[in-house]
Amino acid sequence: MDSLGGTPYYILEFGDELVYFSPYTVSLFLLALVFTLFAVIAKPERQVDIAFGGDAYYAKETSLQELKFRRFMAIACGFASMGAMVTGDVFNFTLFISLVGICNVGIVAAVKNRHVQNAAYQYGIVALAATVPLFGAAATIAATTGTLSMVELWSNATPAVPPVVKALLVLGVMGEGMAPFYAAKAEMFRAPGAPYVIMCSLSSLLIFLRVIEVVLVI
Amino acid sequence: MWQEYSIGLLLVFIAAVVAFFALVVEKDDLHRLLLLDLVEVPSLGIIALLGTDLAEALILPGLVVGIAELLALSQIYVTKEGLREKAVRGLNIEVIQADAPLIISVLLICYGIVLSGFTGGGVAGLGVVFYFMARGHREHFELLEMASGISWAIWIFAFFVFMFIPEYWLLALFMAAIGILMKVIVKMSLVGTMWGDGNG
Amino acid sequence: MIIQRISRIISNYEMIMPLFAGAVTVLFVVAIFSLPLPYYEEQLYPKTFDPASPLNPYDRGGPPFTQVEIKDQYPENSPTAGYVTTYLTPFSWYLANTTLYLGTTIVAHPGGILDEILYNTRGLDTVVEPTILFIAFAIASYLYRKG
Repeated sequence: MDSLGGTPYYILEFGDELVYFSPYTVSLFLLALVFTLFAVIAKPERQVDIAFGGDAYYAKETSLQELKFRRFMAIACGFASMGAMVTGDVFNFTLFISLVGICNVGIVAAVKNRHVQNAAYQYGIVALAATVPLFGAAATIAATTGTLSMVELWSNATPAVPPVVKALLVLGVMGEGMAPFYAAKAEMFRAPGAPYVIMCSLSSLLIFLRVIEVVLVI
Repeated sequence: MWQEYSIGLLLVFIAAVVAFFALVVEKDDLHRLLLLDLVEVPSLGIIALLGTDLAEALILPGLVVGIAELLALSQIYVTKEGLREKAVRGLNIEVIQADAPLIISVLLICYGIVLSGFTGGGVAGLGVVFYFMARGHREHFELLEMASGISWAIWIFAFFVFMFIPEYWLLALFMAAIGILMKVIVKMSLVGTMWGDGNG
Repeated sequence: MIIQRISRIISNYEMIMPLFAGAVTVLFVVAIFSLPLPYYEEQLYPKTFDPASPLNPYDRGGPPFTQVEIKDQYPENSPTAGYVTTYLTPFSWYLANTTLYLGTTIVAHPGGILDEILYNTRGLDTVVEPTILFIAFAIASYLYRKG
C-alpha cells in the first residue's frame, strides 16, 4: 500500500475507519501536537492602553473565566486538527474539519467586543455553509465508488472519483479554513486574542495541507 | 446512464443552487442565518440519495453538525446585536400552576428513560422543558454543562469498549444508549432554561 | 486599478460570505453539467425490505445473541458486528411481537442496524459528532452567561 504521503508506519483500526500514520500525516500531526502543547502552557497577553495626554497606561485584564474558555477552545481545536491529520476515512475527515471550524468560531467569539463578535458571526455563517459541499462531496464519493475508506480509494480497485466532487471537497475545506482572515480583520492577533488565536491560523494551514493529499490520492 | 441516482442528484443540485444564490443576494444577518437552515437541506438530500443503511447513519452526524452550529451562531447573533432577554414568567394557566406539570414531566421522563437512545432523550427532554417552562426557575447552567460532559465521557468510553474489548459489546451498547439519552435531555432542557429564565 | 478595486471589495469581511456562497453556487452549476454520475452498485450496508417483518425497514437481524452477516468495510476489525443488530430490549421485543410498526420507532430502542453502524463499525464518526455538539453548546452557554 503506497501513497503520496509515503508508506504508513502504523495503522490504527477503529472498525470501518482506519487512522493511519504515514510520514506526511505524522509530520502534520506532530505540528498540531506541538502547538496544542504551546496553547496549554501559554499565558494570555494583556492589552496595554496608553492614556492620551499623560504618561499613564493601564493593562486590560483578561478574566480567569475568559482565559479558561479560550484555552479550552484552542486545545479542542488542536485535538480536532490532529484528528483531521491522521484520519483515513473521507466522512470522518469532513467531520473533523467541521469540528475545527466550530472551534475556530469559539476562539474568535470568546472576545467580548462587538466588532470581534460580528467577525465571528460572519465566519460562523461561512463555516456552516461550507458543511454542505463537504458532506455532499463525502456522500457522493460513497455513492460513486462504494467506499469511504481512503485506503480502498488508493488501491485503484474502485472507480475514479469525479473531479467535480473533489472540487466540492476542496471548496468545503476552504470555507471551514477561512478563520484567519476574519481574525486578522478583527485585529485579534496582537491584542485581544493572543496567543490562542494562533490555533486558527495553524489549524487552517494544516487542513489545507491535508486536503491536498486527500484529493491527490483518492 | 441517467439512473434514478443522477435524477435525484439533479434535483438536489438545483435546490442547492437556488439556496446558495439566495445566500449571495441576502444582506440581512438574521435572514442569512435562516437561509443557512434551508441550505442544510440539500446536503442532507445528497447524503440520503446514497440509499443504503450507511446513508441513514451519515445523515445523523450531518444533521447534528448543522443544529450545533446554528445553536452557537444564534447565540453569537444575540450577543452581537446586544439583544436583551425579556423576562418571561411561567405560563399563566390555572392547570399548569397546580401539580400537573410535575406529574406529566415525571411520566415523560420515565417513559423516555425506558425508550432510551435518541427518541428517549427527546421524550424525556420534552418533559424537562415542559416543567421548566411551566414553573420558571433559576438557571443551573453548571449542572447542565456537567451532565453534558459526563454523557460525552460515557459515550467515548463506550466507543473504546467497542473498539478494543469487543467481547463486552452489550455493556458498550447500553453505555452508548445512556450517553446519548443524557445528551439529548440536556440539550432540550437548555431550551427550557433559556425560555424560563428571569424569575424565581 | 482593477486589482485595487477587487482588493478593496474583498478586504471587507462582510463580503466574504456572498463570495463564498457565489463560488459554491457556481460549483453546483458545474456539478449539474457533469451529471449523470455513475452509481456504484456494490454498496456497503445495502438496504433490504421485508414488509411482513415488524422491524421493517430495519430488519437485518436474526434471533438475539446470534451474529448475522453484515456487509461492512473491514469485517476483521469488527469481530462483534452483527450482534448489536439482532439485539432488542425486552420492551422492544414485546412491541415487536404485538405490532407491525416497531420499525418506525427503531431509533428509540438500543440495537438495530443503525446502532451497529453508529456505535460500532463507524463509531469514530459518532465520537466526533457529539464533540461538535459539545463545543457548540459550550460556546452558546459561555456567551449566554457572560452576555
